[in-house]
Amino acid sequence: MVQPAPASPFYWRLNPEVYRLIGVKCKDCGHITYPRYEICPACGGFNLEQFKLSKKGKVHTYCLNYAVPPGFEAPIVPVVVDLDGGGKYQGLITEVDKPEDVKVGDKVKMVLRKIDTQRGLNLYGYVFRLVEEG
Amino acid sequence: MRGKVAVVGAGMIPYGELFDKSFNDMVQQAYKACIKNVDKGFDTKDLKAAWFAQWSGGFIGAGTQSGGTLSSLIGNREIPVTRTENGCPTGGDAFRNGVLGVASGAYDVVLVLGAEKMRDKPSAESLNAVGAAGASLGIFPGWTLGGGGTVLQAMYATRQMFELGYTMEDYARVAVKNHKNGVACPYAHYRFEVSLEKVLASPIITWPLHLFDCCPQTDGAAAVILCRADLAKKYTDRPVYVMGTNTGHDYVNYWDKHNFIEMLSTVRAARGAFEMAKIKPADVDFGEIHDCFSNTELMDIEDIGFCRKGEAAKLLKEGKFARDGELPINPSGGLKAHGHPIAATGLGQICEVFWQLREEATGRQVKLKKGIGIQHNVGGPGFGTSVVNILSRSA
Repeated sequence: MVQPAPASPFYWRLNPEVYRLIGVKCKDCGHITYPRYEICPACGGFNLEQFKLSKKGKVHTYCLNYAVPPGFEAPIVPVVVDLDGGGKYQGLITEVDKPEDVKVGDKVKMVLRKIDTQRGLNLYGYVFRLVEEG
Repeated sequence: MRGKVAVVGAGMIPYGELFDKSFNDMVQQAYKACIKNVDKGFDTKDLKAAWFAQWSGGFIGAGTQSGGTLSSLIGNREIPVTRTENGCPTGGDAFRNGVLGVASGAYDVVLVLGAEKMRDKPSAESLNAVGAAGASLGIFPGWTLGGGGTVLQAMYATRQMFELGYTMEDYARVAVKNHKNGVACPYAHYRFEVSLEKVLASPIITWPLHLFDCCPQTDGAAAVILCRADLAKKYTDRPVYVMGTNTGHDYVNYWDKHNFIEMLSTVRAARGAFEMAKIKPADVDFGEIHDCFSNTELMDIEDIGFCRKGEAAKLLKEGKFARDGELPINPSGGLKAHGHPIAATGLGQICEVFWQLREEATGRQVKLKKGIGIQHNVGGPGFGTSVVNILSRSA
């Protein structure tokens, strides 16, 4: 399947939620999410304020995907993280090749990485990596 | 519901990898099968409206169709036809819309037909295309990369293992049961048994899910005819009645969800359907429910309310959900063995519930007690949509 042409990193850098992790917090119910919304997906309230998401958190759940999109090396490891300070974040975790390499509750932090290059344009995105204990 | 609604006919084509059939062939064959299924004959001029379930929306298969497509294919341009799309619950939700059309008093007799052409793409490409429908690579880098159905359900499967103590063997038992059921169903995509060992030795698609934990991509079509309950005897002496119908939702984004051991879309759909039917889950004899992945079936059983959270795996192991068990789940083989042609799936399940309630499911008939069956789907972006329909052989 033909993917849409990627946007230049120039535009992503102007977009605060992607690289600077700006989400929203609902003043009515406290729900934290991203990207920016005008209506809270939890309670339908209109009173949302900007909220900077933490780069640190703990693994809530994950999987190791071997049925990967064309051009990617298996496995891709998607993860949902409980962020310190509130909210969850869905992304990928690096340096995990087998199920035993990671477990629910492990501490992780986000790092900005090149995820792919398409038609000469780099695609950057946050990925998680395990934080060494101790 | 204001007016009582009856199902008076149901028809489908055998599901599978139907390289010899076009989308149009499947639609017409399911329609003919449905018309011929009506006991006392059916004059197609009686149809007053139709709902056309078709999901693929151009990602795979047949492109985005409209109501006019069905209208032309069945040679009936005098009635209104609406195409519906609501993720994997598309078929079940189209049924719900047909029910509402009759219950409202707007139409006496309606057709609901669903069809999906999925095998014109190789399975890996088809799978990624299905994922792309919910999450397009490159729009938000790194957020949803390769997030197809297996990834979405594997995220739940991991957490079910962590929080409920479920194992990959527990998941495999769902596949073993449903494959065993599928052998007896002439409409099933896969009609062979698998052993626990075979499931656990099959390749990992998305850990913790093996190949045999995943339902296939399937071509298929299915249809039903609904009418006002007081008109049903014109068509058959054994109509099946709609007791409850509901669609429920949860967040589409995974990072909004409260937990990964239940699907609140199913909880909400089931709650409303049972309220409408004025019955409890314990009143249900059997279910055709959405086992797109083996762990999903365990979650569905709990979320619909058949047992408490964390109990489904144990009850499955004890045989409760087998075809000859206390509460047969997926006697048709389920999505796992019967197949999952998305928009046809829910309607195919309703065909099975209809035949089971009329005790016509040769070779796979479940024992009826109260004569009540349930149909359930869950899916769409983030598994944020679910539908539950409850049917009864008594008015």
